[in-house]
Amino acid sequence: MKVLQALTALLPLGVFGAKKAATGDRFQTYHSKQLSAGGPVKIDDKIYAELTKGPRDYSITVLLTALEARFGCNLCNEFQPEWEMLGKQWAKGDRNAEGRLLFTTLDFLDGKNTFQSLQMQTAPVLLLFPPTTGPNAKPDGAPVRFDFSSGTNKAEPIHSWLSRQLPSIPHPQFVRPINFLKIGVAITAVLGFITFATVAAPYILPVIQNRNLWAAVSLIAVLLFTSGHMFNHIRKVPYVSGDGKGGVSYFAGGFQNQFGLETQIVAAMYGVLSFATISLALKVPRMADARTQQIAVFVWGGVILGMYSFLLSVFRIKNGGYPFWLPPF
Amino acid sequence: MAVTATNSDSPTSIFFKGETGRNTRGLLRLIILCTIAAAAVASRLFSVIRFESIIHEFDPWFNFRATKYLIQHGFYNFWDWFDDRTWHPLGRVTGGTLYPGLMVTSGAIYHFLRFLTLPVDIRNICVLLAPAFSGLTAFATYLLTSEMSDSPSAGLLAACFMGITPGYISRSVAGSYDNEAIAIFLLVFTFYLWIKAVKVGSVMWGGLTALFYGYMVSAWGGYVFITNLIPLHAFVLICMGRFSPRLYVSYTTWYALGTLASMQIPFVGFLPIRSSDHMSALGIFGLIQLVGFTEYIRAQLPSKQFQTLLRAMVLIVFGVAFGGLVLLTVSGTIAPWSGRFYSLWDTGYAKIHIPIIASVSEHQPTAWPAFFFDLNMLIWLFPAGVYMCFRNLRDEQVFVVIYAVLSSYFAGVMVRLMLTLTPIVCVAAAMALSQILDTFLVAEAPAEPSGDATKANGSASSNGSANIKDKLNSAIPESLRSTKAPLVGIYSYLSKSLTAGAVTAYLLLFVLHCTWVTSNAYSSPSVVLASRLPDGSQHIIDDYREAYYWLRQNTKQDAKVMSWWDYGYQIGGMADRPTLVDNNTWNNTHIATVGKAMSSREEVSYPIMRQHEVDYVLVVFGGLLGYSGDDINKFLWMVRIAEGIWPDEVKERDFFTARGEYRVDDEATPTMKNSLMYKMSYYNYNSLFPAGQAQDRVRGSKLPATGPELSTLEEAFTSENWIIRIYKVKDLDNLGRTHQEAGAFGKGNKRKKGGKRRGARVLRVD
Amino acid sequence: MRLRVLGLLVGLLGLVSALSAQGNKLLVVLEEEADKSRYSQFWSSLSDRGFQLTYRSPKDTGLSLFQHGVPAYSHLLLLPTKAKGLGPALTPNLIVDFVNAGSNVLLTLSSEVGIPSAISSLLLELDITLPADRNSLVVDHFNYDTKTAAEDHDILLLPSPKQANNAIKDYFSVDSLVAFPHAVGQVLGNASPLLSSILKAPSTAYTYNPKDDSGDSLEDVFASGNQITLVSAFQARNSARFTVVGSAEALEDKWFDAAVQVPGAGKKSEKTGNKAFAEKVSAWTFKEAGVLKVESVSHYLNEGPQSTLTNSSSALGQANVDLNPTIYRIKNSVHYAIALSEWSGTHWTPFTPAAADSVQLEFSMLSPFHRLNLIPSSQTPTATIFTSTFTLPDQHGIFNFFVEYRRPFLTNVEEKRTVTVRHFAHDEWPRSFVISGAWPWIGGIWVTVAGWVAFVVVWLYSKPAQPKGDLKAQGFRR
Repeated sequence: MKVLQALTALLPLGVFGAKKAATGDRFQTYHSKQLSAGGPVKIDDKIYAELTKGPRDYSITVLLTALEARFGCNLCNEFQPEWEMLGKQWAKGDRNAEGRLLFTTLDFLDGKNTFQSLQMQTAPVLLLFPPTTGPNAKPDGAPVRFDFSSGTNKAEPIHSWLSRQLPSIPHPQFVRPINFLKIGVAITAVLGFITFATVAAPYILPVIQNRNLWAAVSLIAVLLFTSGHMFNHIRKVPYVSGDGKGGVSYFAGGFQNQFGLETQIVAAMYGVLSFATISLALKVPRMADARTQQIAVFVWGGVILGMYSFLLSVFRIKNGGYPFWLPPF
Repeated sequence: MAVTATNSDSPTSIFFKGETGRNTRGLLRLIILCTIAAAAVASRLFSVIRFESIIHEFDPWFNFRATKYLIQHGFYNFWDWFDDRTWHPLGRVTGGTLYPGLMVTSGAIYHFLRFLTLPVDIRNICVLLAPAFSGLTAFATYLLTSEMSDSPSAGLLAACFMGITPGYISRSVAGSYDNEAIAIFLLVFTFYLWIKAVKVGSVMWGGLTALFYGYMVSAWGGYVFITNLIPLHAFVLICMGRFSPRLYVSYTTWYALGTLASMQIPFVGFLPIRSSDHMSALGIFGLIQLVGFTEYIRAQLPSKQFQTLLRAMVLIVFGVAFGGLVLLTVSGTIAPWSGRFYSLWDTGYAKIHIPIIASVSEHQPTAWPAFFFDLNMLIWLFPAGVYMCFRNLRDEQVFVVIYAVLSSYFAGVMVRLMLTLTPIVCVAAAMALSQILDTFLVAEAPAEPSGDATKANGSASSNGSANIKDKLNSAIPESLRSTKAPLVGIYSYLSKSLTAGAVTAYLLLFVLHCTWVTSNAYSSPSVVLASRLPDGSQHIIDDYREAYYWLRQNTKQDAKVMSWWDYGYQIGGMADRPTLVDNNTWNNTHIATVGKAMSSREEVSYPIMRQHEVDYVLVVFGGLLGYSGDDINKFLWMVRIAEGIWPDEVKERDFFTARGEYRVDDEATPTMKNSLMYKMSYYNYNSLFPAGQAQDRVRGSKLPATGPELSTLEEAFTSENWIIRIYKVKDLDNLGRTHQEAGAFGKGNKRKKGGKRRGARVLRVD
Repeated sequence: MRLRVLGLLVGLLGLVSALSAQGNKLLVVLEEEADKSRYSQFWSSLSDRGFQLTYRSPKDTGLSLFQHGVPAYSHLLLLPTKAKGLGPALTPNLIVDFVNAGSNVLLTLSSEVGIPSAISSLLLELDITLPADRNSLVVDHFNYDTKTAAEDHDILLLPSPKQANNAIKDYFSVDSLVAFPHAVGQVLGNASPLLSSILKAPSTAYTYNPKDDSGDSLEDVFASGNQITLVSAFQARNSARFTVVGSAEALEDKWFDAAVQVPGAGKKSEKTGNKAFAEKVSAWTFKEAGVLKVESVSHYLNEGPQSTLTNSSSALGQANVDLNPTIYRIKNSVHYAIALSEWSGTHWTPFTPAAADSVQLEFSMLSPFHRLNLIPSSQTPTATIFTSTFTLPDQHGIFNFFVEYRRPFLTNVEEKRTVTVRHFAHDEWPRSFVISGAWPWIGGIWVTVAGWVAFVVVWLYSKPAQPKGDLKAQGFRR
């Protein structure tokens, strides 16, 4: 923030200086500013205009972004720190500006006109203006545009992209600073866990070694996976979607897609079925009373029949040509 | 079938008692197993009966070709085979980059039959190999299950499940001559041997396990599954405090011999000691030595402190070893996880880093209908069986649990890994179902309970995690809740008959389902397509073979054919022409080159094709027939893969309209319309239709009124239904003009007078 | 390529009489019979050299370049015509097809008659540009014939053509001045490698249109100086030749034995070399000169028993040599030989490249791994054998022995032999006991084996320890 104030204080002067200065100074001014700011220079319409106007003997990258929360541009906010980092390191990388590359950021608030003039619908957009004069000049000063549509919010791809676009200038290394905090947290967590484990071992051990627990865990895992949970996880399918007329369609049409809720329903069906099987196989023969046993057999048998037939009917929804079915459904 | 099997054990029949009884049962088992094998083979013959004895799909064509080479040139030439008809002009060191198990197996069978003076065509052997081995798989499953469960019926049930379940048939119908054909048998049998080894604890069984493990390694890349599952089993057992000399002997034998065996395969080579995929096995090997040592010491001197010291030492050494492993991996001495394998854990990995892997259809995640489709009712018997394994948790049942959880995860992530899930599903389901049958098919009144149940129950209470007896014994029950009460039995015949009837009905339904699925879904050799005419009669669409035979008969022996890699093996196998890329996707760059040629303008593609000496270009186009698996639909993958290498020359974004749609009609982007693939697909297409009526039946969109122009290629062949289109690459123009200029001149429109050149005059220097 | 071979076959048939390597049927297209007499010497020299001349008028209805889809003539000579086009039988497309079919064309222009637009559009396809206006001609105020063109300066007198550098063989030099009346200057595009100029205008020449008197044509001159080519040669990829002679008159009898004189004191009159020049140009165009042939290509493994063959030139003939194998191994030493012969007009003679030039061999997969100068090692009566011996790269794949010899005024030689270079077979590596570094490991193996055997012996013959059973039990519950 302080940096920003400093900048705004400097701006008119800078612009003024640049107005009558040759392009070399124009570059020098902002490069020094960039160094002092320790990162991309924040610019507005006017500076944008006069920085990007030819002839340029330097190249300039402009990140057009919308950081305000109300624009709700997550990518902008995710990418901003990365951008700062990249600009900082690049500026540090060639301190005496052999590459003659400027990093600037133009926020929507300061650059409405620019955004309009470029007919910008989306943010962020990264523009690179190659030099129009000098050794590695492109004949047309037209900016190159980086494509964020692949969902990039890291600095490395940008770095490689810049290196590709400006092959003949030095490319300072981009190294991601080591996050000591994270490491520290991890270490403490591990140590804490170990101590906890050692202390609480006598109480936890039996729980861990409990068979029912493990049975439950593995059953749940199996049910999850066999009911296509990984598919939801990878394909990011919707949890549930409405059908045309206001209602909710629980089952996605087609063999190759499914809803989140759908898989849960299926998992539940599998669960019920297998639980009924288990009861028939293990519980029922252990019932001392003949009558209750009889009833239990009926109940569980009925449950299996019903569920299975329902399952089949659901499957017929997914796969139209499926010929088989069971009574009630 | 299963029901009779169980009947044969029910005490009702007095003939089945005592010595004779055992024999009769043995005989019955044998007969039943044979019938199961017969059923397994028979249910896989749909495709042969319907179409003909032909190799299916894509990879099998390469295996077939390799097998023929093996037969022709003998083993050693096969071993050193340098294939100069694929991956032109790089060639492929085929002998060193394939799993020879399959070819060698069928080669051995071939020569054996020859030895018996039965001259069988190698093609028929290849076609029928998979069904034959499926019979063996059923048998292996029987053995495995019999080790798992005390019930004599479980094994037979599992066998017949395994025999006919679609999940396995999908990769083993007659004609799908792929590694999996024999690999699944090897998988199951290796596991059986492992279980046996752990039970008996003999070096012999361990050695056998290693032997078949080696065979498995030579047969299928999926051996990594075994390589990690067995150590995991051992590790879990150790953690459960069930380390025993049996485990020690079997594991060490297996690991030492198995690793040596696996390193004999050139393609595997030093991976077992160099890549992370195999490190778990190595680590457990080390750990088990440590544990064995400590156990020995403990046995020698029972001093409390010393034991704790020892345990600490074990832990420390293990930790240090693990750290060292990580360090080595980071430093690069040990290769990191191989891409295919790694993408199983980090499911987003492949899509970003290895688009080729992500592009393969059988590497997609599995939706639940696929599970049900392939396993029908087994899928809900499966958890029940797993649960029952917990009843009395013997070593082998621990194995079942681990296998079940792991493989169901894998199957969830990748469709093709359904294959590894199927065996354990069959085993578990059989255990559950046999439990029911054994309980309900007992004729006597429940005065005296049936034998095995009590035994099971007794064993349940006898062993189990015994080391928690001292503390909190009351708080937590040691055995499963469902089996606390003493076993009584079923009282009324009504419930018995009801349940038995229901189960029988389900089993019959299962059989119906399997037959239906097999005949409808898994029995078409995607080389020949079948479609139903309005009147319901079947119509065979044979464009692929038509085109391939055209190539075979109308082009030079060494005419290079460029196509997308899916068709590489088929072109190599059926058309016998060199290809640039094929389904063995070992060289990403080369594939990307083809992708670039397909997705760029003619001016860009032509030099690439010249450089690679391409004579013909083959594209698959389903627009006329509505055949959705065509190249335009695969096109985006070509673009992505090419973009991975040339991010500035090929951009996926340019193939989408401003609204982000992928279109082929008037709104298609210029990049799309100028791409070679688009031009080749739609060249002359609207000549089929009245003016402006051209219609793409796959994309369901109307095409531009004027079709694309081709200048550097000329149409050579288009199959009956336009599925395959082959283009010839023109030679350079004789007068040194560009093809566009030549074409323009041929059409008779004059070039602008060079005399009135604008701009600075270029002087000629000699 | 195939076309060229075909052309050579035709040539061998026609060899009996003709001097051309390709064939002796020559079609001369000229408008009136009257013109014919003007070129009588040229005709006679051609027919002396064994050509069967057929004279046709462009208006002739029976005229056709093709017969049953193949060229009816192997050579075509076009004399200037007044008509705008050359008629239906000689449209530019047909002529291009004629050339693509491997036949040769000698086209003569004249500024007197004017240039048909069809011709200029045809030449544009060859990247040869003619002046925009039909009648413009080349003028030089320093090298003109003072006897006939004292006023107009439009009859150029040129020294004998010589090649710029000595990497190009010379086929056109004559020993006296060449007279070039009313020449049409051509400008060759600098893109096409197929073009080369036989005769250039002197540096003081420029194009000028006598028809328009407003001197604005002098404002921007179509071309000037050395950029003007008076006789240009085009050789297509299939080695079909297309020569453009800027002045038809130069071939006329009157210039064959005219005496001319360049301006300037002390210059005396001398005889023109037109006759010789015309002969040389026609000879080259009709494939009597500068025709190459590959007599044989051979390559073989230069190792083991065959390594001795390299120095003996007759290796190719020997029986025990595995000649031209389809597969080699990486790092093999390979011997390659190609026999080139040149057509001397009567028979095939050994070919010797120009002084500063040499035949090159590429061993390439996608890009050349080797590019070697071939050494002329020996000669047969009909051919020179160029050879090279080299080691294959350490890269397996499908490679080409590729000789691509394209030089101005020489037919193209393009010889591609594809071979496979395979990897080491499993038994071609050195055995483990040969590698000294492996001895510790081998030793380790045997030590282990011995140790194991010893252990077994000790175990068997020692008292059994206490049964392991209870140990297991302890291990089991602790």
